[in-house]
Amino acid sequence: MLWLSIVVDKACTQIWDARDSGKPVASLRVSPAVYDAVAAARPGEVARDCPLMLLGLPLVADHGVGTYDPVVC
Amino acid sequence: MLTAEENEALCRVGPGTPMGKVLRRYWTPAFQLSDLPEPDCPPIRVTVLGESFVAFRDSRGRLGFLDELCCHRGASLTLGRVEDCGIRCLYHGWKYAVDGTILETPNLATSTFRERVKHGAYPVREAGGLGWVYLGPPGAEPPFPAFAWAGAAPDELAVSEMIMDCNWMQVLEGSIDSSHVAILHLDTLATMGSGPRSVGSFEFAGEPWDLDMQVPSGGSGWPSDDNAPRIEVENTPFGFHYAAIRDVTGDPGKKFVRVTAFVMPYTAFIGGSSGAVIVVPRDDYTCSSIGVFTVPKGAGGAAAAQRARRGIDPAVWGPEPGNRRLRLPRQDREAMAAGKSFAGFRGGNRVQDAAVQMSSGKLYDRAKEHLVPADLAIIRLRRLLADSIRLVEAGQDPVGLGEGCDFARIGAASQVIDAGAAWQDLVPAHRGIREPAARSAR
Repeated sequence: MLWLSIVVDKACTQIWDARDSGKPVASLRVSPAVYDAVAAARPGEVARDCPLMLLGLPLVADHGVGTYDPVVC
Repeated sequence: MLTAEENEALCRVGPGTPMGKVLRRYWTPAFQLSDLPEPDCPPIRVTVLGESFVAFRDSRGRLGFLDELCCHRGASLTLGRVEDCGIRCLYHGWKYAVDGTILETPNLATSTFRERVKHGAYPVREAGGLGWVYLGPPGAEPPFPAFAWAGAAPDELAVSEMIMDCNWMQVLEGSIDSSHVAILHLDTLATMGSGPRSVGSFEFAGEPWDLDMQVPSGGSGWPSDDNAPRIEVENTPFGFHYAAIRDVTGDPGKKFVRVTAFVMPYTAFIGGSSGAVIVVPRDDYTCSSIGVFTVPKGAGGAAAAQRARRGIDPAVWGPEPGNRRLRLPRQDREAMAAGKSFAGFRGGNRVQDAAVQMSSGKLYDRAKEHLVPADLAIIRLRRLLADSIRLVEAGQDPVGLGEGCDFARIGAASQVIDAGAAWQDLVPAHRGIREPAARSAR
């Protein structure tokens, strides 16, 4: 089973850490598996051509990112 | 957000389910002691974690917590006679002791069966006005969570239970959701005298509207207009604690901090209150929201229930578990339109919370939600529960069993402090029982 709860926890922690350091955050890079899971969970938004977003950030599929190692950038 | 599969794993609690296996590794508060007030009083039926049990107090005052149905022909023992140190099934007279020993089988003359078979019976303890049970693998009981109020006298505790018609996670998540407090609970803040406030472009006059409302005791009021708190979370051996940090109106040198401690897997000590909220699944679609609050000596027990009837449906406080199902009051749209009330629900925070939590449906599909960084405590809760599922499936202990933890020292705080001060200093008892890295994602 894919545990998005782990991905979201790590990403949210990174967002707060970035804010603490005054760094801007613009997007959330995730593995294609995570991206696909989010897309599958939100068929309505995909059908309406809305960008996939998580924690208020646009989601970007990145083959260089591990399943449980999202990157806020 | 969660995938649909993950949502099911976290929400469903019956025997054999991933979360059901996790929750059965902890002590679970299952009923109010006031429901079994004296030896040989009538038994009660208890539904918890998707299973039904009978609880009774025998002639010597000992509590029994047994599988509900007689192991002979399946009649409910809640109909039974409680007599002479046991509970007797009405159907054929089989009699059980508090430890599940089958004492008598009147329609079976030989003793072989009752000597070799025991009825399902579970460890039960009395603390804080509640009966706590352990439903997990025999012999693997974790440390008992003896909170500060565990030994308090009934007249020093106000215990209430609201049975809510939705999945337990909706209510549990609400208990650690800080960013809704100054929005959904605007009417509470008004009763507390916080004055005018805004939610986005909506300007709320802040005149007290629900004058019968019980408002939280303790803390330092609500000195902030900041609706986007900064959240800091630290894992602890008992679960986690977190701070919701807000700017203080008119004083940039200060910050308003509310510290909440979450004790796996049910209990939240909420900043600004004198006790805890405990959310226990009855089954997948109903849960009990139990409040345990300390009060001055002589103000608890029946006296507290009498006072709390003001503004809350009396059925919530009725003696029969079946009467504790929360019935939401009518939403006062006229008061909302006139700007007198924000939410329109009389009865205080727990009624307002219940209204929105049950409004999501019987079991909310979290694939549809859009979390924000201010939801970090909810996110961490799910993470710990997910970690626990994986650990238990791997044959290990779930997180937060509290080995070596002094549960009596766990608490919460709500206070204005210097902007540069550490919020952890507000809960010094947690020092030494917390893990070092702030917001650490293990």
